[in-house]
Amino acid sequence: MSPILALLVLGALVVIAAVAGVVWRARDGRRRRGSDVVDLTDLGVTPGRVTLVQFGTETCARCPQVRRMLQGIASALPTVDHVDVDLTHRPDLARAHRVLSTPTTFLIGADAVLAARFNGVPRRADVEAALSELPVLQEAS
Amino acid sequence: MTDTAPAAPRGIDPRAPRFAAWITSALLLVATFLGLIGASARTGSASFGWFAYQPLANSAWGAWTLPATPIGVRVLDPAFVLTVVIALLFLWGVVSPTTSPWSVLFRRVVRPRLAPPTDLEDPRPPRFAQGVGLFVVGVGLLLHVLGVPLALPIATAMAFVAAFLNAAFGFCLGCELYLLLQRAGVFGRGPRAA
Repeated sequence: MSPILALLVLGALVVIAAVAGVVWRARDGRRRRGSDVVDLTDLGVTPGRVTLVQFGTETCARCPQVRRMLQGIASALPTVDHVDVDLTHRPDLARAHRVLSTPTTFLIGADAVLAARFNGVPRRADVEAALSELPVLQEAS
Repeated sequence: MTDTAPAAPRGIDPRAPRFAAWITSALLLVATFLGLIGASARTGSASFGWFAYQPLANSAWGAWTLPATPIGVRVLDPAFVLTVVIALLFLWGVVSPTTSPWSVLFRRVVRPRLAPPTDLEDPRPPRFAQGVGLFVVGVGLLLHVLGVPLALPIATAMAFVAAFLNAAFGFCLGCELYLLLQRAGVFGRGPRAA
């Protein structure tokens, strides 16, 4: 391959990587709505409580920042719990909840229904907006 | 902050792996360039250099000359040599992250010029990422030695994309996709004692 053509390939490679990064950043952490009932087995969720379930692994670089944010939100709201589920050695749980990347966060209502799902780092305002839509919290406020 | 997981080792400056990722992505880009202009991507039936090439008539590899290139030439290809160096640096990053060259360079030269880190990061994800990088370029090196054309530049290009996303956007591709890799059977499947 000629050096000119090779440089063009490299240029395309850098552009593709940059576009992939920008697209990923735009999509990352976006809220997805859900309506399924979540199987709470092994998640450490107290039934009847609104819970932010965060899935992580030992190799998850961005999980600690999400953990801090969710703990901050949960500690300010007495009716909301935060639990951290380590999937490093639990591929069965990852499969059951279709978690393909970490961090992934579920907002589970008191009725065990998935109210929102965030793949990636969620924005604090999005989590708070999803929480405010839950009936339990509307009564409390 | 003390709210890290109980078993988590002492934190590192999160800018250190990003700094290393910039150097790694630059090296991988050079390796990809050398791979594209080197033996891995060479085509044509002409004899080249100091040995004659036997055209592989109607072979599945078409006009690629790498399968017919002697193994000594494949191994001395500049792209191969540079990628071996990169692979050794990845290996160093897996075996002893704190003594790896880029981490030492960051501590000695870069960090004194920066403000102290606002937050510390778990050292395990970047270490795992080095292992993923080692695996990807290792496969490329192996296939290149076996005579698969383009395997080396494709492997270094894939590793470049991962390193670049880490450096420029803070995304650790291998870390995020740990579960996907696990599902694909790269790691042990069954539940184990943590």
